[in-house]
Order: sequence, then C-alpha cells, then structure tokens
Amino acid sequence: MIPSLGLRTPLRLVAAVATALLACTLPGAVSGQQRGGTVVVAQAANPPTLDGMATAAEAARNITMHIYETLYAYSETIAPIPQLAEGVAISDDGLSYVFTLRQGVRFHNGKEMTARDVRASIERYRRVGATKSLLAPVESVEVTGDHEVTLRLSARTPMFLEAFASPRAPVVIIPEEDAAAEVGRISMVGTGPYRLVEYVPDSHVRLARFEDYAEDTRYAGSDGFGGRKAPHFDEVVFRIMPDPGAQVAALEAGEVHVLERIGVPSGRRLAGSDAIVVHENMPWAFTVLIFNTAAGPGANRDFREAVQAALNMEEIMAIVGEGLFDLNHRWQYRGSTYDPGEVGRDRYNRSDLARTAELLARAGYAGEEVILVTDTASQQNIRTAVVAEQQLRAAGINVVIRQFDQPTVLELRRRPEGWHLTTGQMGAAPYFGPVDTLATMTGAQPLFLAPDPQIDALFRELANGPTVEARQETFRRAQAYLYESFPIIKIGDWGKMEATRSNVRGYVPFRIPRMYNVWFEQ
Amino acid sequence: MTRFLITRILSAVPVLLVVSLVTFLLIWLVPGDISAELGGTDATPEELEAIRRRLGLDRPLWERALAWYGDLFRGDLGYSYLLQRPVLDAVLERLPVTLSLAGLALVLATVMGLMLGILAAVRHNTLADQGAMVTALIGLSIPDFWFGIVLIILFGVWLGWLPTGGFVALTDDPLGWARSMTLPAMTLALTQMGVIARMTRSSMLDVLGQDYVRTARAKGMPRGTVVFRHALRNAMVPIVTVVGVLTGILLSGAVVIETVFSLPGVGRLIVGAIQRRDFPIIQGGLLVTACVFVFVNIIVDMLYGWFDPRVRDGR
Repeated sequence: MIPSLGLRTPLRLVAAVATALLACTLPGAVSGQQRGGTVVVAQAANPPTLDGMATAAEAARNITMHIYETLYAYSETIAPIPQLAEGVAISDDGLSYVFTLRQGVRFHNGKEMTARDVRASIERYRRVGATKSLLAPVESVEVTGDHEVTLRLSARTPMFLEAFASPRAPVVIIPEEDAAAEVGRISMVGTGPYRLVEYVPDSHVRLARFEDYAEDTRYAGSDGFGGRKAPHFDEVVFRIMPDPGAQVAALEAGEVHVLERIGVPSGRRLAGSDAIVVHENMPWAFTVLIFNTAAGPGANRDFREAVQAALNMEEIMAIVGEGLFDLNHRWQYRGSTYDPGEVGRDRYNRSDLARTAELLARAGYAGEEVILVTDTASQQNIRTAVVAEQQLRAAGINVVIRQFDQPTVLELRRRPEGWHLTTGQMGAAPYFGPVDTLATMTGAQPLFLAPDPQIDALFRELANGPTVEARQETFRRAQAYLYESFPIIKIGDWGKMEATRSNVRGYVPFRIPRMYNVWFEQ
Repeated sequence: MTRFLITRILSAVPVLLVVSLVTFLLIWLVPGDISAELGGTDATPEELEAIRRRLGLDRPLWERALAWYGDLFRGDLGYSYLLQRPVLDAVLERLPVTLSLAGLALVLATVMGLMLGILAAVRHNTLADQGAMVTALIGLSIPDFWFGIVLIILFGVWLGWLPTGGFVALTDDPLGWARSMTLPAMTLALTQMGVIARMTRSSMLDVLGQDYVRTARAKGMPRGTVVFRHALRNAMVPIVTVVGVLTGILLSGAVVIETVFSLPGVGRLIVGAIQRRDFPIIQGGLLVTACVFVFVNIIVDMLYGWFDPRVRDGR
C-alpha cells in the first residue's frame, strides 16, 4: 500500500521540486506542452466493441485505454502500479486484497467514482470480461467503505495483482448503472483522460478531452498504461483506414498525424523526411508454428523435433519482420523480468537436414501430406507459412498450405482433423509475462489441442510461485520442456514501425498509441 | 407503360426471394461463426456453445430460415451481433456512401465512355479512333486499387488538392462531399469507362452505316445533329444495357474503392461482416444491395422504352 506521507510544508516544497525535476527524466514527462488541436491516429481495423472489458482485441485496446482506467495498471517495466487505487493491502495469508480508492475521480457523466462502482465493475467483468479467468480466484467482492473494496480469494494467488492489472482485456471501472448491461450495451463512460464522442464503424472513433479528468499527481508522466496522463489535445480521432498505402499517403499529406503501424519499407523511406518521425517498436510479437498434437504426424514428438531441426529461423524472420527482427529463441522478450536465458538455444535455428532425416525416420514418417493452415488476417502468418513450407519441403516433409479467413481457421483449429500445423503471432501474451504466455498452452484445449499435463503442472507452479526468483526458475524449466517436447515452435521476434508528423511532440511508442502527454508543437 | 412497370416490379419479387435464399444457404454453409469473437480469448468450449445457443446458431437450418423470413416479411432484417443495432439502420446509414460513389462513377464512366466511343466511331480507322480505343483498353486493364493509390499520391500528397480519403456527408458539407468523392469516383469510373467506350463505338458504327443516316447527311443536315440526334439515340439501346450491367459491377467494385479511400460504405460493412461472421448483416446487406440492383434494372428497362418506342408499345 502507498502510505500517506504526512509531510510538513517545507518538506512538501522540496518534494514538489524534486518531483518536477524527476518529471524531466521520465517517459512522457516534458515541459512546454501546449493544449489544443485535433490529433488524427490511423489504424487498420475497427474495434469490435468499445466495451473495454469485453474484448482483448488490439484495435479496441488502442482506443479504450484512453476512455477507461483500471485500479492497477502495468508500468513501463510491466509491474502493477496503482491507477484508480490509492494502494492495496494484502493480508498475510494472501487471501484478502483491500483496495483503497482515489477520491475525487469522476466519470465522464459527472458522477464521482465510489466503491460501489468498483464492485459492480468487477462483478460484471467476472460475467462478461474477455479474460475473465484472470479473476477466477476471486471468491467475493465487498464494499468495505465509501472508497474501499475488499476482494477475497479462494486460494493464495501470488500473481493475482499482475493478472488484475493486465491490460489485455482490462478490468476497467465503469459506473454501477452499466453493470447489468450485456456486452456492447453500456454507456461507454469511463474515468479516462478522453471521453467518447462518436463511433462510426469503418470510418472513425472520435474522443474529446475530459475536462474534469483527475490526473494522478503521484506520477510525473506516463508510466506504461498508468502514470500521470495529461490530455493536451481537444480531440483525438482514430481513423479506420484498412489500406496501408492510403495510410502512408494520408500521413504524408498531413491528414493523419500518427500511424500506429507502418510497413518497414515505407518507414525506412520516410525516415529521411523532415515532416515525419519514424519510431521503431521492438520487440512487438513472437512468430510461432503450432502443431496439432492431438492427431496426425504432429502427435509424434520426433516428427515435431524434425520440423524444428529443419527450420532456418533467420530466413523466415527476414521475410516476416521485413528486416526488423530478433533471432530470439526465448519464450519471453529478451531482457524482460522473466527472460529464461539460453535454455534450449542449442535446438533453435539449426537448419540441420541430416538430423531432420534421422528424426523423420525414427517417427516413421513416410511422406504423408502435412496440412499447414494459415489465415488471411495477418501478413506475418502468410509469410511464415510460405517460407516454412519451402524449407520443410526441401527437408523432405510434404507440406501443403491451406489458407482461409480467420473465423474458418479458428473453427478448424478446434477440431483434431483437417490440419497438422498452423501459424501464429503472439504479441500481447509474452509482453504481459510468463503466465499469459503459458496460459495459451494449458487447459482443456490448448493452442496445440492435446492437453499436456506437464505444461499444466508448470503453469500451476508458475502462477503460485511465491517470489519472482521462484517463478523465474519455473519458467526456465517451462522453456526447457518446450525445447524437449516441441508442441509449439518459436521462430523469432519481430518489431513494428510507427510514424508521427514531426509537430507531434512527446510521443513514445508503446503497446498502445498513447495520446496523453502528447501535444502539437505550434 | 404503367402495365410494363408493374410487370417488371412483380417479376423482381421472385428474383429477390432467390437471392435471399441463396445468400442464406451460402453463409450458413461457411465454417466458423461469431462466437469466438464475442466470447473473447478465454472462452471455454462450453461458453462458446452458450453464445451459439443465445444467438440461435445451434438451431436447425430450416428453423433459422423460417425465423428469418418471418422477420423479413414484417420488415425486420434482424439485429447485428457486433454492431448491436438493427441491420436495416446500419445498412441504410451506409447506403448514401456507396450510392454516391457508384452513382458518380456511373455518370463519369458513361460521359467519358460515350465521348470516347463516339469519337472513335466518327473518326473510324484514324489515329483518333486508335487513341480512343487504347485509352479504353488502359482503363479496362489498370487495377482499380493501384490507380486509386496513384491518384491519392498525385492529387492528395503531391498537389494537395483533394483529401486522401474519408467521407463527408452531402447534407453536412456539399463541397466537402464533392471533394471526398472525386478521387474514388474517378478511380471506379476509369475501369468501367472502357467497356462503355467500346460498346458505344461498335453500336455507333452499326448505326452510322444505316440508310437513314446517309439520307440525313445527303439532305445537308449538320454533322452534329446527325450524330447526336439520329445516330446516337438509335445506338443507345445496347449501350444502356451495358450501363445497367455495369451498375451491378460498380456496386460490387465499390468494396475495393471503399477500402482504398477509407469510405464507410455498404461494401466494407458486408465484407467486414463476412470476415467476422456477423450473419444478419451479411444477409440484410446483400438483400438491400440486390434491391438496389433490381431497381436500377427496372430503370434501365424504362429507358429502353424511352429510346425505343417499340418496347414501350409492346411491339
């Protein structure tokens, strides 16, 4: 819990000066910000909904994280930091979390946020939240004061606060009146720095500055998804522009000020322009190949290792990342808190055809057709499939690509027949940490279909690890297991490029295009 | 004429019924549904099944068809799973964008196509004829998405005369509407202009060789009068047929242009619905589009009567 310091006046003055100085050193904290203007951000996809807790889609998160806020948020270093909460007191047995709320925080409808709103929001999340399993340990939510909420857990869950703060499908706080609403039927009212004005699907989402926004003065500037958020723009317009060429043209013409994603070749072309600033956001996502371990050749461990041994990751990633990539074998981003290090490195990026032939023979593979399913939703998926197919065919594996649209692939991947291998990109999960990463590989229907008791056990151990060090050790063992069992193959990391007009100041690339603490230079 | 019109409208009803039935069957045969999108990444198979039950996706095909047609005859096209609003409202909101685009493109393509075709016919076997036909062929051959980007770069980025995309409603700002529609309509028109130009040339050449045209010339009638009043009017019936067919192509081709120019039209609405399996929008959107197409064809039939009295009089 963050204690009340109770400082005397001279000391407060010193603290204020120190805070101001610190402000100059933190991301998003700068002097000379100017208010006003309408900033236009281009993104390719429509948000499926603006009901913040009901979707884990990146296209929605980019926008909703300006409208809504959570009690705790992820910092720049992916640690939970208080946002709408003053702090939290965790009982010694780890079963009780008492959240004290900040006072004076208002919703966009003018109502002050109280503990009743928080309880209603959490209850709704447990019903309709897109990642509601995160709150599975919660047994009850009680209002224990006007500005205090107590969560009681059914079992000690050391990483509960991390899960609770996850922005993947965030546990946003909405007015109590919206709590009974079904998905998408809420008033879209939050406590964030911008309020929703209109959403015209396939055209734009318009937000306006929330004049009564309660900036979190405990921070000097943006800190990940939290921190102090100063809404300098009068309006933020997210334009939905599906064509990448048109996006770049609009940026060059000055009709768009921020491109949350620009193709690497276009980014490199514009890098020399005085009017445009290009930002590298690296790493952004993993590229993976996922086996169907429930049926077909992928059910055989030796066959899976043969595929791993045959692949040349550098060739694949050069195409997938258009030159912006990292040959990272780790199942976490390099240098992050849970970076598992060199475990499994010797089995990565081998392109060893002799070893592949030996493993194929041991697996009893006789040239059967291996169906590699990919979807049209992501260029990275298509590129991965095409290069991997060529490499695997050269290694004697009879791979054929079947390309469908995303709903068809999702439907197909739930069944054991009709596919053997599929492509995937994991962006948010590894960013949110090892629990999110392993969560996709556990349960009744993991990514690779056949449940793996060993991964399930490692996942439970990880989620219940009492200390960071213990969890790091568990994740190292999880990575070692993935490089022994190969249900899913890590290909590499790729980055994305973003671009802004040069009069947009204070912009720092992140998991969302943050439009607070950003302004136009006049 | 009234009887002719009533006959055409009545004959459109079975066409729309067949369109709706085929659409219905096709989309329900496509694998995948919207449950994964609505359920979120954590949804268990049981939760996905519950969503399907809630939306009626688990019901037999005949039962869903009966329910849909029952609603349709009450004027209800259903409710969008994703947009959370009535399908008719969503489609009607987008229709002005697509109709603006297709309508303007049709006018541009017809005017340019007619001019090129007439020029080629009256200057038959000359350099002008070849030039006009090469222009028409280029229009037919250039991919519209590429031409759209070229126009955006030229007029939006380099010259800065026109916006690179987006839509302004005619009622909000007529000038802004014209500016936002110019490049998309030009792009869409270019590809169809060639078809009209070639048909006009061929039809005009037939007519210009007729006795009555020779007689008109021999009487000393001005060349413009002979070409535009006598020859063109008689050459128009096959051209109008082509223009009618092109209307359908323009409506479907508008999807690509709407994507390139970020226009929130019916095409993008339907394509987005297909990608996410928002079945009510697909069904309702396609039915409304089919209605527009049928309506345009009725107008084309009426124009036949205007150009050729024999059709109007039932001869």
